[in-house]
Amino acid sequence: MAGFSELIKSFDKTRDYVRDFFIYGCKVRNDFQAKSSRTYDDEKRRVESWLGDYIHTDNSQRGKKVCISVDSGHISENPLYKAYYSKSFTDNDIKLHFLLTDILADGESLTLKELVNRLADDYGELFDEQTVRNKLKEYADEGVFVKEKQGKTDYFRLSEDTAESFFNEYAGLDNAVKFASEAGNFGVVGNSLLKSAGLKNDIILNKHNYIVHTLEDEVMLDIVSAIDEKRFITFESFGKNREGKTFEYSGVPFRILSSMQTGRRYLTMYNYEYRRYNSVRLDSIKSVKQGEICPDYDEMLALYLKNEQKCFGVSFGRRTELGHVEPIKLTIFADEKTEDYIINRLEREKRCGTVEHVSENTFVFSADVFDPNEIMQWAKSFIGRIISVEGGSEEIRNKFYNDIERMNRMYCDEKED
Amino acid sequence: MKRKINIFSELYGAYYRTAAKILAEDEITESGIYSIISEEAFADSALFIPQKLIPKNGVSDWGLIKACDGKSFASVLKHKPRSAATELHKRWLRAQLADPKFRLFLDDEVCARLEKRLEGVKPLYKSEIFRSADVFSDGDPYTDENYIKNFRRIVSAITSREVLDIEFLSGKNERKRGHFLPLRLEYSRKNDKFRVYCAAYRDRHWSNGLINLGRVISAAGTEYKSVYEADMEQYFSQRRCVEPVTVEVTPERNGVERFMMEFATYEKYTERDLETGVCTVKLWYDRADETELLIRLLSFGPVIEIKSPQSFRRLAAERVKRQNELLRL
Repeated sequence: MAGFSELIKSFDKTRDYVRDFFIYGCKVRNDFQAKSSRTYDDEKRRVESWLGDYIHTDNSQRGKKVCISVDSGHISENPLYKAYYSKSFTDNDIKLHFLLTDILADGESLTLKELVNRLADDYGELFDEQTVRNKLKEYADEGVFVKEKQGKTDYFRLSEDTAESFFNEYAGLDNAVKFASEAGNFGVVGNSLLKSAGLKNDIILNKHNYIVHTLEDEVMLDIVSAIDEKRFITFESFGKNREGKTFEYSGVPFRILSSMQTGRRYLTMYNYEYRRYNSVRLDSIKSVKQGEICPDYDEMLALYLKNEQKCFGVSFGRRTELGHVEPIKLTIFADEKTEDYIINRLEREKRCGTVEHVSENTFVFSADVFDPNEIMQWAKSFIGRIISVEGGSEEIRNKFYNDIERMNRMYCDEKED
Repeated sequence: MKRKINIFSELYGAYYRTAAKILAEDEITESGIYSIISEEAFADSALFIPQKLIPKNGVSDWGLIKACDGKSFASVLKHKPRSAATELHKRWLRAQLADPKFRLFLDDEVCARLEKRLEGVKPLYKSEIFRSADVFSDGDPYTDENYIKNFRRIVSAITSREVLDIEFLSGKNERKRGHFLPLRLEYSRKNDKFRVYCAAYRDRHWSNGLINLGRVISAAGTEYKSVYEADMEQYFSQRRCVEPVTVEVTPERNGVERFMMEFATYEKYTERDLETGVCTVKLWYDRADETELLIRLLSFGPVIEIKSPQSFRRLAAERVKRQNELLRL
């Protein structure tokens, strides 16, 4: 495996692999047909190196099987954050990182020329001005250095903000960051702040923890920034057409919707090509390009938010026209005296629907939504209590009744021992 | 040109962090270097970092350490490296301050000072951009004064290992009271609630306890600091199912992908039949979550079949039978 490196230049290829290992948990080399065997071996080795404790390999009949298995509710740190800590760099990058911060550690403010001279005088390291200029610009952008102009000359000094200074000055911030690094958005940023101060999460666990979501954080940051600036976006998807080219879509982004039930996250947007709102899975988005500012953004957002209220989950249905919703009604049995927990479940899980007590032990959930099909998986979690399903389409109702018949054959047609 | 914010940067990388830790030592041996690498970096990093860092004949690619006496090394730096809180970190912190759950951990005065320090820093995102489509509507009351007081008392007890006298409402709405050593907080995005894993002290023995924070009436200190050492792995293994649930998942309606994604949070073992595409999945779960698991599995309909254990399969069968009877009425 000559030339193998633990570090990577770009994130998207690895993202695809880690996701497959993690989600499917049953893939062997031959399943990754689109990729070369060398790529597979390298990616597998990298993932094993990052996630050693959670990797399991089995010699199945089809070859060696690799999977990541994590009881994510009982871990103190998302192991997939390690993928973000594997960016490759040059020898000059790391040298300049430590030497420049060392020169400025006493609080001095120095110019580019002075810094280049000090690198040579103090450490015997000869760098050309352009290389150092690029690093200074990069670190000023990242907030590691502060750039100040005196006359026409730029001076650089070290930022006073350190991870330790934040945690020392604000009591309780360590625990707050431990929480948000595991349960908040872009938790990997909080995790790196903790690591900078030598801290580890030792108080918070995160139930319903879809650790794989962090792999989408890089593209999500581009999306969130575009939403903030009311910009159009164009994104490339992982899927490919027959010619092997990836798909590109453009539109106006509005929100990031997640489903804690299905474990999926979506970008909701207005798609100009199809002239409709739609939801795009974040894990299908390979990269995002920000475009111009959308002049009608506020009006479009207001209309979007009105429509969002008619989504039970994340689907806007198949319709292009606005305001077309279909009613659906579920009648549920719950014993009023002994089954409070069912009535409570209906109330807390009804989302945009309503719940009505219609007669003794009988409750009706109804909703007008773009895509009644989205309700049906949730409805089936009430199996054993559903008196009737009305509304929606005939197809949806038939599917439900057929499913119950099939499940009846599956579970109830057994001969008693 | 617009500046791009980088999460994926070597600045936050494991190699930089490892190098910083090595450079913070006044003097370090080769084995000391390997030991820090194994703590901080990746499993194979010991094959890569030393050959870049450790000088041979006085020279190394990174040029950051020098040999002292043939046995140990010292940093070429004049100061100990320090870790900057970057613009990304500050923008992230600023965004977190909009979350009432984040603020639960901080006194009002601390929050105000932190807000002042981050004044002028643009939040990394606005919280309204994110929405959970199916979060339960009866989440914890994060701005309720009594809730905040109990929350902080419990967080403080986790770190100080203080046994608390906790009064709470049980799942059956009965008032209960006892001595508990809080061990970990658990947050669920789906339920939008915190729970506390505790060691409960009863009859001179420690046992497992789990309390919903929203149901805590009061949490008072006892000034008794526990010496009980909780091994969390052992703690959770006591709560784990005896036998995993085995489920057969068919490719119908994209069932395999949907199932694998939805149950990605579970520890699981999967095998796939190449000819049929059917996956056999073993799932391990916390016994307290058995009903939640059952209804989630049933919500997949006939796309999956619960095969074992028989006791769990029977629970599914009872519900399906009842459902069939209801539809025949």
